Amino acid sequence: MSSLFSQLAVLGSSLTLIFALMLLWHRSVDAYTTAFAWQSVVLAGIVAVVAYFERDPELYFVAAMLLLLKGWLIPRLLRRMEGPFGAEQELQPYVNTATSLLISGLLVLFAYAVCRPLVALSHLPTRAGMPLALGLIFVSLFVIASRKKALTQVIGFLMLENGIALLAVLGTYGIPLVVEIGVFLDLLLGFMVMQLFVYRIHETFESLDVEQLGRLKH
Amino acid sequence: MSAWFVEIFQVVFVVALAPGLVGLIRWIKARLQSRLGAPPGQPYRELGKLFHKEAVVSKNASWIFRFAPYAVSASTLAIAFLVPVLVVPRRLDMVGDLFVVVYLLLLGTFWLALAGLDPGSAFGGMGSSREVTVAALAEPTTATAIFSLALGAGSTNLGAIVAAALNDPWTVLTPGHLLAFAALFIVAIAETGRLPVDNPSTHLELTMIHEAMILEYSGRYLALLEWAAWLKLFVFLSLLANLFFPWGIATTLTPGALSWAIVTLLVKLALLAVVIAVMETRVAKLRLFRVPELLTASFVLALLAITSSFLLR
Repeated sequence: MSSLFSQLAVLGSSLTLIFALMLLWHRSVDAYTTAFAWQSVVLAGIVAVVAYFERDPELYFVAAMLLLLKGWLIPRLLRRMEGPFGAEQELQPYVNTATSLLISGLLVLFAYAVCRPLVALSHLPTRAGMPLALGLIFVSLFVIASRKKALTQVIGFLMLENGIALLAVLGTYGIPLVVEIGVFLDLLLGFMVMQLFVYRIHETFESLDVEQLGRLKH
Repeated sequence: MSAWFVEIFQVVFVVALAPGLVGLIRWIKARLQSRLGAPPGQPYRELGKLFHKEAVVSKNASWIFRFAPYAVSASTLAIAFLVPVLVVPRRLDMVGDLFVVVYLLLLGTFWLALAGLDPGSAFGGMGSSREVTVAALAEPTTATAIFSLALGAGSTNLGAIVAAALNDPWTVLTPGHLLAFAALFIVAIAETGRLPVDNPSTHLELTMIHEAMILEYSGRYLALLEWAAWLKLFVFLSLLANLFFPWGIATTLTPGALSWAIVTLLVKLALLAVVIAVMETRVAKLRLFRVPELLTASFVLALLAITSSFLLR
């Protein structure tokens, strides 16, 4: 029973990681949005699995919120933003695709190394997924650091948030519901602010390339 | 005695069905693109026609050109002896493990690349250089992906890996297995020259890989090379099917278990054929310079697979 639980948790965690790797491989924003939406659906699934095995009804609520907000609402808003900016592809990131993939593989190895004492201490059946969640956080940070287009960075940030939520759910079976709702509200607000920024950047520079922001100094 | 009979039967089975599998993929693809399509038996007719035709060889070609078709088909045939298709454990498990399979694959590629260079045509050399690029990136991934399964089973023997997966069906759901499956699937597509790496249905295109190497061949040589390529696809797909979804493979030599193994194998291969046909209908061929990126992605997946199966043991 508990072995099935841990299998499902690790399975879900590795799926979320694969969706993050898609960000490094694809070039169109449309594919990024799809990857993010599926990642959120998988995350909601993991939360629901934890809720089922730990008999924690609050977590069902969190899973439903995740599904609604990250699986449906934010991808919808992202797709609407693609309208004016859809042609903006990630053609020349700071690090090329093959190297980025290798670096993210190393980042996941690093996450495994960092997590070893944590996993050894923990007795939760979900502990095996924790290195993968940390790996997801590292990979998302790497996406934010190595990509030039504002929209890619926004999706990288959203995936980072997914990674933190995943780590919280695997490491501690979720945080109190009030905090969770606060986080969701924060996330939505943050996303709106970023959306506004993206529009302004595009208005000023006719492009979503954040390298252009350097021109503001002069 | 009956054990050896089963070994021989398995190889004959694989060799006989390989053209049918390719025909099936072509037929499903044609249907998905709302064409009528040739019946699945068409590759057999092609082989029959080619074996009856005269083989034309260029004056400038050396013995390598004539020898390569035999070397390629022999190495592929040897792989067919080593891969668990219907029964585990087998007598021939002692002969070779996954490393032998990987290097036999590379041996076939080596001879094919030489044969592409030998007649001195521009297309052949281009195809060889591309094939070697793809192979150099794909072989490590094949070995790494299967090795991550070997870690779980505690043996590099393909039969032992399948047997271990049969004993513990839940291991199929571990991340190591899933990542390795994804990696091996990408590699299988690259190695067998399917879309998005190579387009199997073109004969004159600047971007082709496999077809460019065998462009100079005709008659029985071409038939042998085509058959070897189809055999490679069959072997890769049955490797995918049996390593990751081992259910149904026979563990005893009774006729009942064997016929059940044949039925389940055919079902699994048909499902994989549908997956490949759907994928080839949906995706376009990648630009050649994006192929290394795809193969890097599959290598990273295999690396993660081996890490997680090593650390979660």
